[in-house]
Amino acid sequence: MSRSMNASSLKRKRPESSSANGSLVDADRAVFNVIKSKEDMGIWTRDIKFETKLADTVVNKSLKSLLSKKLIKEIVNIKNKGRKHYMAAEFEPSKEVTGGAWYVDGNLDKELIGVLKGLCLKIINSKKVATVEGVYDFLTKSKVTTFDCTNQQIAEVLNSMVLDNEVIEVKSTGLGEYHSIPIGTVCYRIAKGAGLGESLKIGAMASIPCGMCPRISQCTPDGVISPSTCVYYQKWMNF
Amino acid sequence: MVSQHGIKLAVYLVSSFYGDHNSKVCECLLRRGTLTLAQIIRFTELSREIVRHCLLALIHQNCIQAFSIQQEGAFGEAPKVVTHYMALFDNIIHHMRFPKFIAIVKDELGGECEKVFEALLQHGRLSFNQIVDREKQTVSKEENFDVDHLKESFNKLVNGRFVERCPAPEPFLAPPSDEETPAKKRGAKSTKVGDVSESIEQRALAAAAPMESLRFLAETHNWSDFSDKSSEEKFTSVKTGEKRKQDFLETDGGLLDQDEKKEVLWRVNFEELIRRLRHQACIANAKSRLNDECGIILGAILELTRSSESKVNIGSTASVSINDIYDEVIKKKGGLGMNLERIRASLVELGCEMPMLVEEYSIDLKSIIDMAQNEEVESIVLKRYGREAYRMFRFLSKSGCLHETDKIADTTFVEKKDAIKILYKLWKDDYLQMEKVTVNGARQTHFLLWKVNRQSLCQHVLDEMYHAALNLRLRIAHELDQEKEILQMPKDKVGEVEELRKRYMRLKKVSIIYESSLMNLDDALMLFHDF
Repeated sequence: MSRSMNASSLKRKRPESSSANGSLVDADRAVFNVIKSKEDMGIWTRDIKFETKLADTVVNKSLKSLLSKKLIKEIVNIKNKGRKHYMAAEFEPSKEVTGGAWYVDGNLDKELIGVLKGLCLKIINSKKVATVEGVYDFLTKSKVTTFDCTNQQIAEVLNSMVLDNEVIEVKSTGLGEYHSIPIGTVCYRIAKGAGLGESLKIGAMASIPCGMCPRISQCTPDGVISPSTCVYYQKWMNF
Repeated sequence: MVSQHGIKLAVYLVSSFYGDHNSKVCECLLRRGTLTLAQIIRFTELSREIVRHCLLALIHQNCIQAFSIQQEGAFGEAPKVVTHYMALFDNIIHHMRFPKFIAIVKDELGGECEKVFEALLQHGRLSFNQIVDREKQTVSKEENFDVDHLKESFNKLVNGRFVERCPAPEPFLAPPSDEETPAKKRGAKSTKVGDVSESIEQRALAAAAPMESLRFLAETHNWSDFSDKSSEEKFTSVKTGEKRKQDFLETDGGLLDQDEKKEVLWRVNFEELIRRLRHQACIANAKSRLNDECGIILGAILELTRSSESKVNIGSTASVSINDIYDEVIKKKGGLGMNLERIRASLVELGCEMPMLVEEYSIDLKSIIDMAQNEEVESIVLKRYGREAYRMFRFLSKSGCLHETDKIADTTFVEKKDAIKILYKLWKDDYLQMEKVTVNGARQTHFLLWKVNRQSLCQHVLDEMYHAALNLRLRIAHELDQEKEILQMPKDKVGEVEELRKRYMRLKKVSIIYESSLMNLDDALMLFHDF
């Protein structure tokens, strides 16, 4: 009995012992095929279970097995960082999954962005006016960075700086400071006040407590929140 | 359509200037629209006498305009003419900026004109004789009163268009002609009641306004030879019945008597003052956004083209030649050293395109106003919601179209999980519009799209500004009320006690800050409402 059992258990074990090229048990193969079919998008655990119609325990066991054989890898999906996602080992996660060049482990690489912004600001400050290509060429030739960045990345950083009102986007007139830039080419210059430690000009509404107040819609003359009881006004006049 | 807080601010201003009864009548008209005397009495629950006096006073102060229309009689009765009253919201809000108007007149025409102008602001409407009488009372016995000098100052104000002839107190609006009726009938099915009322009010204002040729025509010795619409359209020329007389404001030696004596009444021309303030705002924006030279050149162009502006909020200035611009620029402070080359460079910075044939330039004022409005709103977003919200808002504002959450997060370098929270907050506070899109594929996927709707955003921000202006006024009143004991004390007694002196100095400082903040906020109000 035990021999037959031993023989059958051995027999049972044989399909589980797999190699990269070897056969997998049916469950493992099913799970692997589903994961591989998603290519560089990867797939969530629950979706694997849904598509393979296998029991939870079976899927979990297969995933463990495939991971140990390095046929699949676990990845972070930027849209759902809390969920376990898997991808076939031969694929690199797509931009949609990672979040793009600016994301590391599902988080925005603020340090990298900050460094590039600082460099771009210095370059434009020294050149007075620069195009995307001008900034990119300067960065690559001067080798101030220890990492590679693309023209596209520089354009994205400059665009973000325009939105921050640190630089302004202008079109070359071909005259004066623009003489080396073809007419009509988009270029960038330092925004007035930026780069000198000056903050953005504050509007009239934003200069008073009501402009900053998150409760303005609830404020009434005789209400709980009112101008006469307002703590923001109180702080504003504490000098 | 006036916003809720705009109405509250207007009511508060009328109360401050003219008392609670007048503010009650104004509030009734602002909230309910154009009404008859009987309706105002019913809604305000004030006595007939009080309402009549309030209406007279408010018409005199240019806060209300009356007009009469013919209404069909009921049950076979003859048609009757009924007087209606409409609140003039803009003129009420202008009371907040009287000091600015006075400063403009003083800068341009000097102290003598300022005195006459101030009298007109205070009294609403005055004839020249009333101005003379008033001046006689203020001049001391030792001083010689010179009526010619006063006349000269008055004429300067009229020629500068700071003062205008008053509109007719109660124009009659003729019923629409037969040709117009079918179109109006068609229109009545599709348009709302509010639209029809608005056009009646616009017609009333147009009918009341003096003819353009007479509006700034100063009186001569033979002023009685001139007749204008206001004297032609007398109340008595309209058929009256018993009912009509009950709605009629009795003269009591007031407003209407002036008409009957053919004395021309004058009032401040708010339109010209707002035009000057608009120009000032554009010049200030050019200076701060670009440089001083651009401000000087823009000022020169506005000086040259002001008289050709047909309305306050024109889109672009008239075209001016480069030589005319140069001649005007060198007259200005800081402009003497400029040459044509620098002027051309500044004009390009101001957004002008290089002309092809004739070298003439026109400035797009609307784009300057739009930029100033954007700066104001973005400033609020930055202060209230933070730097990341500022970037996302600017991205959506510049783009002008719907964008999906991830796209916004990627472009603005904001963490995706933070982006959705910030966008939701902005949407909840009416700074953004949001649309939900569902894509049906293997699975249903929901996308959120976001957009800045400029028109509704500006209306919302304007309402917030009215709210803030009212809050500032209430806060000032509260601070003064808290320290009323100190204000009632003699100053030397206040100075004796350290604690009292400190409180007094604090109150002084606080008042200055509140008042200057209110004046700045008023500039922003005009940016969104009047410019």
